[in-house]
Amino acid sequence: MNRALVNIIFSNLSRVLGWLALVLLIVLIGAIVIKGAGAVNLEFLTMGSSNFGAGGGILYQIIGSIIMITVAGLLCLPLALGTAIAQTAFIKRKSIQNGISMLVFGLNSVPSIIFGIFGLIFFVNILNTGISWMVGSFILAIMMIPTVVVTAFQSMDSIPTIYRESALSLGMTRWQMVRHVLIPQGFSGALTGLLVALARAVGETAPIMFIATAFSGVTIPTSVNEPVATLPTHILILAQNAVDPVALQSAWGASLVLMVLVLTFSVSGLFARLSLRKVSQR
Amino acid sequence: MLKLKTFSGPFFVWSATAISGLVIFTILAVLAVTSWPSIAETGWGFFSNIWNPSDGKYGILPMIYGTFAVTLIALTIAVPMGLFTGIYLSEIVKPSVRIYLKTALEILAGIPSIIYGLIGVSFLAPFISDNLELQTGRTLLTAGILLGVMVLPTLITLVDDALRNVPNRYREAARGLGLYRYEITLFTVIPLAKNSLTSAVLLALGRAFGETMAVMLVIGSIDRLPSPIYNLLVPGQTITSKLGREMAESVFGSIHFSAMVFIGFILLITVLLITYLTGKFSKKIIIHE
Repeated sequence: MNRALVNIIFSNLSRVLGWLALVLLIVLIGAIVIKGAGAVNLEFLTMGSSNFGAGGGILYQIIGSIIMITVAGLLCLPLALGTAIAQTAFIKRKSIQNGISMLVFGLNSVPSIIFGIFGLIFFVNILNTGISWMVGSFILAIMMIPTVVVTAFQSMDSIPTIYRESALSLGMTRWQMVRHVLIPQGFSGALTGLLVALARAVGETAPIMFIATAFSGVTIPTSVNEPVATLPTHILILAQNAVDPVALQSAWGASLVLMVLVLTFSVSGLFARLSLRKVSQR
Repeated sequence: MLKLKTFSGPFFVWSATAISGLVIFTILAVLAVTSWPSIAETGWGFFSNIWNPSDGKYGILPMIYGTFAVTLIALTIAVPMGLFTGIYLSEIVKPSVRIYLKTALEILAGIPSIIYGLIGVSFLAPFISDNLELQTGRTLLTAGILLGVMVLPTLITLVDDALRNVPNRYREAARGLGLYRYEITLFTVIPLAKNSLTSAVLLALGRAFGETMAVMLVIGSIDRLPSPIYNLLVPGQTITSKLGREMAESVFGSIHFSAMVFIGFILLITVLLITYLTGKFSKKIIIHE
């Protein structure tokens, strides 16, 4: 076999397949932007929905999504930061460290629908909370733990050992060392992870559709026991009657807005990561 | 006061760790306990192909079949494309172009699955039904293709990372021997990255198993085994689409509800097993962002 020929075939095959995959994926983005741009205008963003979501705007869906993930982020941050601190400074045995990493890794792989079912059984039925946005926040917070733990752990772990040792040799207790050496660095790492995790959480549908959302007739919640409307569940309901062009139009608009929210979080996560790298290189 | 200060910090840290670590056990336990009544009642009846709650029949074979069929189609599409695109990104393209492509991939990996579902119902399903002259475009094949496209960005990123982790000196040595690029890639770089590549594929597999929203919208949701069994152009059902469609209809405490939770439990165990294997193949723990 002619090696030069095989080489040309191989290079071009991967080039063509590479571009094919990328073009395919870029077409997807294009579809969302073009279809969505036709639906989004000021009224769409500032009005409540009417006519079972097909008409009007998506103001309450946007508010609902933002309330739910903000609270989820606030719940998740201390839990994840605490776990990362324990991993860095409190647990000495390698086997226990690995065990916890393994559990966190396992949690990360749990399919999102399973979180929804768990929430439905544990919160809504056993703890009898009813369908409420707060339950949705709890479940999303649990889902976000792995990403935040890992980024916080990585940024704390990258602090040179000599910093920690110097702190301890000054007579600080371990907690003081954690407070003054680990947390300042780890907190920004955790924030970076949190932004990335929020980008994922804001688009999640399966975990919240049984436990936290209602479709129509919902406005801004006044207590923690109320369901909210969110962007992903709104898109779901509209996509289910895919024959109605008006409903689909509204679904595309909501998709574009959701995509913008996702990108806002992931791009700020990206910038946070870059500025973090600069700090640790100083 | 000093005492409180000394103890509250560590107390907080330990309880946070306990919560994060124990959540997964709580989920497993809750699902196991809730699915027990249906296991006791149905027993081997789960291994049939008729699901009819009003008749007390809970056969899960159509869902199991659908899950495997859809995942197989998805991986048949995503693995070759992901591998070649990963090779292209890591071994062939110029670094200046590479950065843009990687950024585009990160954005694509972040598209929520519900939006993929919307794309599926408005473009892919009509396309399939028009071109293959089917009554409905919502078939196992449609779900498989959509799922393949969904896992592609993640897979490409992981393949690229796996290949980039192979130190350059191997490439240089191979080049010094006068090998062509395909020989360097196929016989030097890929064998060295074999374990990370396997774990990348396993990770994609785990994701494909657990994906709900996009699959649920385009699969047609009919609990039947296709006849003949290899006919993928008919509506079907996966575990996840079943859960997504029917969970809200079942009443908490009923055998129906318990049977639904049981199929969820099977899904969870399968995915955790795949994850365990993923960990075996990769030295460092990947949590994909």
